[in-house]
Amino acid sequence: MSYRIPERGRVDRSQPIRFTFDGREVTGFRGDTVASALLAEGNHLMGRSFKYHRPRGPVAAGSEEPNALIGTRRGKGQFEPNTRATMQELRHGLQTTSQNKYPSLKFDVGAVNDAAYMLFSAGFYYKTFMWPKNFWHKVYEPFIRAAAGLGVSPTEEDPDIYASRNMHCDVLIVGAGPAGLAAARQAAGKGLKVVLVDEHAEAGGTLLSEPQAVIDGAPAWDWLAATLADLKAAGVKIMTRTTAIGYYHENLIGMVERLTDHLDEVPADTPRERMWRVRAKQVVLAQGALEKPLVFHGNDRPGVMLAGSAQTFLNRFGVLVGKRPVVMTSHDSAWYAAFDLAGAGAQVQAIVDTRGEVRDDLLAQAKALNIPVKLGHTATATSGRLRVSSLRVNKVTGATVGAGEEIKCDAVLMSGGWTPSLHLFSHTKGKLAWDDDLTTFLPSDTPEDCVIAGAGRGLWGVEAALRDGAAQAQAALEALGQTEAAQGYSVTEDRPGTGVTHKELPTDRSPGKAKAFVDYQNDVTAKDLRLAVREGMRSIEHVKRYTTNGMATDQGKMSNINGLNIAADALGKKQPQVGLTTFRPPYTPTTFGAFAGYHRGSHFEVTRKTQIDAWAEENGAVYEPVGQWRRARYFPKAGEDMDTAVTRECAATRASVGIFDASTLGKIEVVGPDAAEFVNRMYTNPFLKLGVGKCRYGLLCGDDGFIRDDGVIGRIAEDRFHVTTTTGGAARVLNMMEDYLQTEWPDLDVWLTSVTEQWSTIALNGPNAAKLLQPFVPDLELTEETFPHMSCAEVNVAGTPARLWRVSFTGEIGFEVNVPAPLGRQLWETLWQAGQQYDICAYGTETMHVLRAEKGYIIVGQDTDGTVTPFDAGMGWAVGKKKADFVGMRGMARPDLVASGRRQLVGLLTEDGSKLEEGAQIVLDPNQPIPMKMVGFVTSSYDQGTVGRPIALALIEGGQDRMGETVHVPMPHRTIAAKVVSAVFVDPENSRLKIGAAA
Amino acid sequence: MLLIHCPHCQETLPEAEFTYAGQAHIVRPADPMSQTDEQWEEFLFIRQNAKGAHYERWRHLHGCGRFFNAVRDTVSDRFLTTYVSGAPRPDLSSLMEGKA
Amino acid sequence: MNALTSFPQGQEPETLVSTAAVTVTQVPHRARLSLRARGDLAPLDRALGFALPRGIGGVTLGTACLGPDEWIILTDDAAAVMTACAEVSLPHSLVDVSGREITFEIEGPRASELLTLGCPRDIDAIPDGTARRTVFDGVTVTLWRDTAERFRIDVWNSFAPHVAHLLASGARELAAEMA
Repeated sequence: MSYRIPERGRVDRSQPIRFTFDGREVTGFRGDTVASALLAEGNHLMGRSFKYHRPRGPVAAGSEEPNALIGTRRGKGQFEPNTRATMQELRHGLQTTSQNKYPSLKFDVGAVNDAAYMLFSAGFYYKTFMWPKNFWHKVYEPFIRAAAGLGVSPTEEDPDIYASRNMHCDVLIVGAGPAGLAAARQAAGKGLKVVLVDEHAEAGGTLLSEPQAVIDGAPAWDWLAATLADLKAAGVKIMTRTTAIGYYHENLIGMVERLTDHLDEVPADTPRERMWRVRAKQVVLAQGALEKPLVFHGNDRPGVMLAGSAQTFLNRFGVLVGKRPVVMTSHDSAWYAAFDLAGAGAQVQAIVDTRGEVRDDLLAQAKALNIPVKLGHTATATSGRLRVSSLRVNKVTGATVGAGEEIKCDAVLMSGGWTPSLHLFSHTKGKLAWDDDLTTFLPSDTPEDCVIAGAGRGLWGVEAALRDGAAQAQAALEALGQTEAAQGYSVTEDRPGTGVTHKELPTDRSPGKAKAFVDYQNDVTAKDLRLAVREGMRSIEHVKRYTTNGMATDQGKMSNINGLNIAADALGKKQPQVGLTTFRPPYTPTTFGAFAGYHRGSHFEVTRKTQIDAWAEENGAVYEPVGQWRRARYFPKAGEDMDTAVTRECAATRASVGIFDASTLGKIEVVGPDAAEFVNRMYTNPFLKLGVGKCRYGLLCGDDGFIRDDGVIGRIAEDRFHVTTTTGGAARVLNMMEDYLQTEWPDLDVWLTSVTEQWSTIALNGPNAAKLLQPFVPDLELTEETFPHMSCAEVNVAGTPARLWRVSFTGEIGFEVNVPAPLGRQLWETLWQAGQQYDICAYGTETMHVLRAEKGYIIVGQDTDGTVTPFDAGMGWAVGKKKADFVGMRGMARPDLVASGRRQLVGLLTEDGSKLEEGAQIVLDPNQPIPMKMVGFVTSSYDQGTVGRPIALALIEGGQDRMGETVHVPMPHRTIAAKVVSAVFVDPENSRLKIGAAA
Repeated sequence: MLLIHCPHCQETLPEAEFTYAGQAHIVRPADPMSQTDEQWEEFLFIRQNAKGAHYERWRHLHGCGRFFNAVRDTVSDRFLTTYVSGAPRPDLSSLMEGKA
Repeated sequence: MNALTSFPQGQEPETLVSTAAVTVTQVPHRARLSLRARGDLAPLDRALGFALPRGIGGVTLGTACLGPDEWIILTDDAAAVMTACAEVSLPHSLVDVSGREITFEIEGPRASELLTLGCPRDIDAIPDGTARRTVFDGVTVTLWRDTAERFRIDVWNSFAPHVAHLLASGARELAAEMA
């Protein structure tokens, strides 16, 4: 703990916390991050880099950290790779591991890549591994995968819970530094809903790193505590550990709140993370600025870090990042870092500034602290194996780089100036404007109701941030009708400053050998960027992709502007002419859990179940998903596989009676004086003259003439139809009908009501169906005369008001009993009990599919594919010939749809009795050269039915004229010959539909 | 996610309550059988791909259930106005002015 | 002919979850009728014995206006409503949907916040004594706000377990937050 400075920082020294790093126990304090705790024991080495396996330590102190990525483990399944050590707070028992090293962090064989770095230069993916072609899969890709990379994916299921919530507010302020705090003060107490968020564990932003500032007479930390208390009292919602990850249309902000990763014990029912979707009337972006590294050879060695971050580690965590640091800077701010570290006992070896002149007060203070100063110098190298041990600096005179001089040190604190954090602003499609003085882009216009305040728009210093936060918030408040003056602030001990921005620093070495890193996480150097330009990349977007600069998980937070400066120099253009690459959400890496929220396990997606579903489950049903529904597919008895069970169910239904849950069928009640007219216009069949108490099969087409859906439509009353649709088509059909009704025929007096879930529908099919049902329907005689096929009635069934249909989707005598949904299971059990005397068989969707195929009844979406007309399907009989118009009528007359040679639905019987595969392609001549001309494909194929051999349905060109012909189905190892037959395999005379005939 | 003003509910609500329903002001001919193949093709398939103001239809599916029309600027992805089905096309020049 | 298909009423309310934050209860079925009509509604007002609410969201005597020509009527005497409306010559549609939906009552100091788990619209902006269709976790629901801290959600039967699951886990999450 020798690097911990007493009396500094905000960590709670009364609460030591033990955790492990690569199996070694480390002790830090409550309030520490993994990075600050490791630095407190003098340990900078925390990982290995992506491509070259170079030793790396933290370069920053916040979420922009590119290097110090670790694996964290809190318990079984609670492993997370690539966590930034600078953001992970300590908690008891936390296990952390370094990444991308083998066998150990300190000795890593992969570091051979560092020597072979020529292989990995810009565009290496495209060049080195192009030839020979088949080497890619076998040699190069495995090599790259093994050699490059960051953390490993977790393998266990995550036991944590994740949450999401929507929020609406008047003002959302992103960033709780001085600008954000001033904005919140400005907005508070006006009866507005104000939300202030910050990604760190505590609010304060830069104030946490600058305790010396005195705000309106109060020391910064006292002012901060008082302000937070005031804001809370005024009802401002302050959310820490909450990252605004993306700014979406019309002021919708995505935010991830981390709720438990810092807790020793996770309370019950508490999610690990919560995704907030915040709709704000006004947004204040006060995200501050990010410090830029200087680009020089060896700027990635552990111990080389940003000066501002060193200041943060000292003032916020009480940790000295080095006892003999040297400062290398082009900006005033790093001088203050030097002064702060010196004040904490560090022996600052030198302040080296690239500028020839700096402010007198800085020089005077350095002198007072006995810190040597070197102006007009460049840095050309660092040395040290796992930790920096010296910095080589050279005097620059004009374009000449003088002799190098080694400065011994244990840390290099660098600053290349500051970049406004523009990420969220850019998500808004906000325009950026180049500022030549600051050598950076500043926010300009945005289409969103959004202002940007403080360092985020290039203002430097606590007072400037506070004043701008108040002023910008007031501008946003004006839009909400609030007129008041912006609050004023006065700050002493403030540290405003300026600086210059560089491309890579000048050097006396061969630039081709320099490893001057621009993007630490993706191991991109200045040389790579220049190579990309030399090799023809002109657009910054191309340079980015060729080099992968800015494409790592830190999204180029540190590298974008440095990369741009170098690329622009190489291109010989000004930066604004080169432009910036696009910032995309999320701002920081976000867990899949946060995106999934509640949608996992049984709640992954909606699973709809019928009222009878529980009975099916109790009786061993195997399910299949149909749309959002789960439906019983078959009911295996002990030892049965699907084929055996379905074969049994088919036979039992044709032999006696089967019971089937048809509740998922879509049902629409069409009511009004124009009900018949509407149904007649929608369906191909004629409906105007359908009698009350009758039903009719209906085909629904689109106006293009192709089949969309089908179902049976019953006329309950003159002005009332009960329309059924396919299970999967229910919502789509209702939407289509509403569309025509509302927008094409608003004059019709008719209304549509979904009654899919009003009714449970139980289908009884088989020769004994009427016999089974009759005792429960005392008011209606179920005979061919009194209730023929395609009848419907409102009657009591088993004492319950019901809609009873005489319909069949099996070719057997069939009934569908509709009862109010909650009574469905009761009726099912009643019929099940009564059916025992007939060996009643519960069957599922698979048997339903087989039995209907034996009758040539189509399933829309299986035997049709959106390009099949009623005539193609052999269902011209369903098209009303005398109708003036219906949806699809004109479409069916289109030239292509009446042309000969269209694919038509037919039956197929294989010559060798084998079963065809659904989807298999069909050819006429199996001996023709490849590619063969395909004339169609198999749509349905079954061998569990009652025909005694496998059957199939197929769409074949001109199929209805090919009856009796042999076609061929080429399969991987053989070609199957099949005869074209009628699609009706069972009872073409429909005699089995008649009560009394089949039994 | 967009905010959409439903002209029936008279509320501005999140896009999640709505579904898109294609280009607006395409009228199904009163007598389709009198249409030539070219006319029917035009009705079925030919759609605009406007850069700028686009007349389109939405449905307040998880709400009042109504189809309605909208003018949306496809460049800014902002709604310029919404109005009930059957109402005439709003004047584009005044809408674009209102935006500026 | 307007077939009345209602079924025995009077099950006990069933509490799904009860926490300090919010209590979620599945309430007994009531007869529920979907009424559609347009034009001069006076004849329907007379037949029903009260004026149908005219604006979307409005609620009068258990009847909510859900669309420009759509009302949902909650009643204890569906037969009487059907009989009365049968005499009305104004074209209309009356459909019994009593069996279609399940109702959850959501009551407690954080009832409004519980709904924010699934509703993208601003719950706080919904006035008391109103109802409308909206979306909750991808499912269409009818949301009634009875008081500041009491809501009802009507949801089709097959979606109810999905909605109930989120309401229950959300109620526990909110309670844990208060602890």
